[in-house]
Amino acid sequence: MLRKWLNANSMLRTELSGVATDKFLEFLLYGMDSAFWLLKGYKQNIKNFSGRYVFTTQNNRVAASAVFKDGDMVVHEKALNQWDVKVTFKNAQALRDFLFSGDQDIVDSLLKNEVEVDGNLNYIYKFGFMARDLEHRLGIV
Amino acid sequence: MSQISAEVSRDLSLKSCELTEGVKKLRKAYFKAAPEICIERAKFVTKFSIENGLFERERITILDKARMYRKVLENRVSVVRHSAGYKYTRDGLKPFDIVDTSPFAGSTTSKFKGVPLYPEFFALNLWPELWTISKRNSNPYHIHSREVEVLNLDIFPHWMEKNILELTRKRASREDQKKIKLVQHLVFFLTSKPECISHTIPDFSKVLEFGLQGIIDEAEKNKDGKSSSTIEFYTAIQEVLKGIIVYSRNLAKEAERLAGLETEGNLKEQLLAIAETYRRVPEFPAQNFREGLTTIWICWTAIHLENPNIGLSLGRLDQILYALYQKDINNGNLDIQKAVDLLCHFWLKIGDHVPAIPEAAEQLFGGTGSNQAITIGGVDRNGTNAVNDLTYIMLRATELMKLRDPNLNARYYQVINSKDYLKRLCEANIVTGATPALHNDKAVIKALEAKNETPKQARDYGIIGCVEPGSNGRFYGHSAAILLNLTSALELSMFNGTHRHTGERQIGPETGDPSTFNTFGEFWNAFETQTRWLIEQSTALNNLFGKTHQCFYPTPILSAFFEGPMQNGKDLIEGGAAINASGATIIGLADVADSLSAIQRVVFREGADPREKRVAFADLIGALERNFEGDTNDKALRLRLSKSEKTPKYGNEDPMANQNVCRIVELLDEAFDMINNYRGGKYRVGYWTMTSHAGFGRLMGALPNGRKASENFSSGITPVSGVTPDLVKTLGSVAFLPPECFSNGVALNLKFNPIDGDDQKMLDNLVAYVESYFGDGGMEIQFNVISHDKFIEAVNNPEDYPDLLVRVSGYTAYFKDLTREMQKEIIDRTEYRLSTGRASY
Repeated sequence: MLRKWLNANSMLRTELSGVATDKFLEFLLYGMDSAFWLLKGYKQNIKNFSGRYVFTTQNNRVAASAVFKDGDMVVHEKALNQWDVKVTFKNAQALRDFLFSGDQDIVDSLLKNEVEVDGNLNYIYKFGFMARDLEHRLGIV
Repeated sequence: MSQISAEVSRDLSLKSCELTEGVKKLRKAYFKAAPEICIERAKFVTKFSIENGLFERERITILDKARMYRKVLENRVSVVRHSAGYKYTRDGLKPFDIVDTSPFAGSTTSKFKGVPLYPEFFALNLWPELWTISKRNSNPYHIHSREVEVLNLDIFPHWMEKNILELTRKRASREDQKKIKLVQHLVFFLTSKPECISHTIPDFSKVLEFGLQGIIDEAEKNKDGKSSSTIEFYTAIQEVLKGIIVYSRNLAKEAERLAGLETEGNLKEQLLAIAETYRRVPEFPAQNFREGLTTIWICWTAIHLENPNIGLSLGRLDQILYALYQKDINNGNLDIQKAVDLLCHFWLKIGDHVPAIPEAAEQLFGGTGSNQAITIGGVDRNGTNAVNDLTYIMLRATELMKLRDPNLNARYYQVINSKDYLKRLCEANIVTGATPALHNDKAVIKALEAKNETPKQARDYGIIGCVEPGSNGRFYGHSAAILLNLTSALELSMFNGTHRHTGERQIGPETGDPSTFNTFGEFWNAFETQTRWLIEQSTALNNLFGKTHQCFYPTPILSAFFEGPMQNGKDLIEGGAAINASGATIIGLADVADSLSAIQRVVFREGADPREKRVAFADLIGALERNFEGDTNDKALRLRLSKSEKTPKYGNEDPMANQNVCRIVELLDEAFDMINNYRGGKYRVGYWTMTSHAGFGRLMGALPNGRKASENFSSGITPVSGVTPDLVKTLGSVAFLPPECFSNGVALNLKFNPIDGDDQKMLDNLVAYVESYFGDGGMEIQFNVISHDKFIEAVNNPEDYPDLLVRVSGYTAYFKDLTREMQKEIIDRTEYRLSTGRASY
C-alpha cells in the first residue's frame, strides 16, 4: 500500500504540475484510494458515503470507475454500466482542468465542450472537493 | 395636498445632509470587508431536516417548514454589534476591527458581510472550492477551516439527493430528462428554479400597521370553519411569525446585556434604544419612522431565511413609510438629516449579504449582488402624484452611500410628477454615475394592464430584482425564471435544428436547410418554429421545477407578507398570491434582430441596393464558420454586415430593422403568453440581461450581423454598440417598440461622457432626452455617466475605485467585481456626448 501510495503521490504531483497524460486519471484514483488509508483524516470524506463514478474519454480510450461504499473506495479500470454520475472528457488535460484548475480553465473546458457530465452534479462537486482536499493535504495548493 | 415639505422644496438635492461619523465609519468598513461564508442557516436547516426526516416523505407540509424556520429563528445568534470583518491584503484575507454603531440590530447572516448558504437549492456547487475560495481571483469569500469541515462532513452530504434539481430529475420522464440536458448545454436557456424563486416584493404595509401579533390574530380568526389543510396553513403562518418575534426579543435582550457592559454613556443609550425598539417591533404596530424601518428590516432577514438572497425586493418604501415619517416630523421627533442618517444605516443593513457564486459562474455571470430593488416616486393607486419628502431623502441617501445593494429605481409619470423631480433623478445619476434607473409609469402601467391587472394594481407597481415591474406585495412572478438565449433560436434556424456548440446532434426541430429557401418569409418561419420550440422546452422545465417546489418547499414566511395567501388560506407556492406569473428574460434581442435584417437584405435582397451583390446563404454560413477570418471576401462581407449604411441596424429608426425587432418581441410575447405556469399564472417577457449577454456571448459563434464568435451580445433592449451614432434615433427606435410586450421589464443601457464642461447644460440635456424618450413611449432607461478614461483607469487600478458603480443591464454592480469581458462590454458601449447627442466612441 505504502509503495503504491508513494508512487501515485509522486506521479500525481507531476501530473498536476505539468502536462496531464492519459495516466492522470489512474494516478488520481489510485492516489485517492491510497490516501484514504494513509492520510490522517482524509477517510472522513467517505464515511457513510455511497457513490458510483464513471470517467471516460469520448473515444473510450481512457475509462475508469470509482465506487464508494461502506467507507471504502474501489477503482475499476473500465466504465461501469451503473453510475450516479458519468464524466465524459475530451482528454486528460480537460479532465484535470475540470477537476482542479481555478478560474478560466473550468469555463474554458465547458465552453469548448471538452467535458460533459451526465447524472447528479453533486457527486462531481463532492469528488471535486475530495480531489482538492487531497491537493490541500499534500501541500500542493 | 403636496407631500413635499417647504424644507425639502428649498433644495430638492438636500445637499446640506451629509454622512454622519458613525455611518461613515461603517461604510468604510463595508467597502473594506470581503464577504464571509456563513453556515449558520445551513447548519440549523440541515439538523432539523435530518432529525425530522423531512425528505423521507412524499411531500413536506407547510407546517413542517414553518416549525423548522421557527426553530432557526429562535436559535439564531443575536448579532447586535458586529466587531470584526475580513479585509483584502496582499497576503490574502485578514481580520480587521469594526466600530458598529448602527441603530439596527440583527443581520441576514452572523457575519458583517455574509454569504448565506441554501443547500436545499444551490450551495453545493461551492463544495469543490471550499479550500480555495478565499484565494480565488474573482470575488473571494472568507471561510474558516472548521466551517469547511462542517460543510464537507455534516451539511453538504445530506443534500446531495435532496435539492430541487435532483428531486426533479428523479421524477422526470425521459422527455423531461432531455430538457434538463438542454440546460446543461448552457447555450439554449437557463432556468433558475433550482437556485431560487425569490424575485418578488412582499407587502410590509400590514405588519407596519398591525404588527406581527395583528397578523397572528388575523390567522386565528381565519381558521374558523375552514378545512384542515387551510387551518394548517394559518397555523404555519402563526408559527413563523412567533419565531420572528422571538428573534427580535432575543436581539433586545442582547442589546440590554451589551448596554450593561457599556461604560460610555452615548453608546449605552444607543443600545438601550435598540432594546426598547426591538421589544416593541415587529410584534406590535410601528409608531415612528425608526420603528417602521426596524420592522421591515427584521421581517426582511426572516424572509431571507426562507428565500435565497437573489432578487427579493423591498418595493415602494417611500410610500409605505411616509405616514410614519410625517408623524415624526410633525411631532418634532425627526428632522431630515436624521431621516437621511437612518436610511443610510438601513441601506448598509440591506447590503449585509451577497449571493453564493461559484468560481465558474463568476467567470460567466460574475459581479452580481443580491439585487434588492427599492422603488421611489411615480403615482399612487389612484393615479395621483406619489412623490414625497421620503422620495428625495432616499435619493440623497443613495447618493451619499453609493452602494450596489439596494438597487434604487425611480418611477416617473410625465406631467403628474414634476419636471424638477425628473431633474433631480438625472442629477443623482450624474453624481452616482449609475443610479437610479428610471421607469416611465405610463408605459409600465400599460404593459401591466395588458396582462389583465386592474388599473389600481398596475399603478402600484414596484421594481423587482433588476428592472421587472410587479404589483407591490401581491404579485408572485419569479421574474427571472427563464433566461432565454434568443441567438440560439437563430442558430437552430440557420443550421436546421443543430447548433455549432453541440455539434451534429439534432437539438431543435428540422426546419429545413436555409440555402434552399426562396424568401425571407421561409427563414422567418424557421426562426419562429425554433423560437417556439425553445419556449416550450424552457417553460415546461420551469413548470416541472415549480411542481418540485410545491412538494418540498412551501413558503410560510413570504406568504405571511403577501396579499392573497392570508385571504384565501393558500400558500404562495400553490398559487395563493393575488397575481401569479412567471417571467422570462431574453438575451440577444438586438443581435438577432440585426442578423435577421442582414439575412433579409443581403441574402434575400429585400430593399437592397441593386449595385450590391447577393450573398448566397451557404456563403454566409461559410463566413460565419470561419468567424469572418478566411480570405478578404470574409472581411469585406463582415464590413458590409456591420455597417448601418449597408445593412439595416436596430437603433437608427430604419423601417426594416424596426419591423424585425417588433416582429420578434410580438412573437415572444404571444408565444409565452399562451403558456400557463404551475401556479395558474401566465408567462411574461422582459429584456434585461444582467451580465448574461457577456456569458452567453462567450458560448456562441459568429452571427450574420457581423458579430464575431465569443464577443458580447448587446445588453437588454439596447441596440448593438457602435452602429447607432445618433442618440435621438436610438431613443426613437427603442421607444417605437410596443410596451405591451414588455410586461417583465426592459433595460436600456446608455453611456454618457460627463466631460462637457457645462454641468447645467449637461443636466438639462439629459432631462430633455429622458422626457422625449418617455414621451415617445420608452419604458425604462439607465445610464452610466462615467468617462471612458475613468473606466480604463479603473481597469488598471481597481483598488483605487472600490465604489465605482455601474449599471450592467438591470442591476448596479461595482466595476471592479465584473469579469474582464463584462468590463470590456461596458467600455465598448456606444458613448454619447450629452452636449450633442452624438456618439463619441
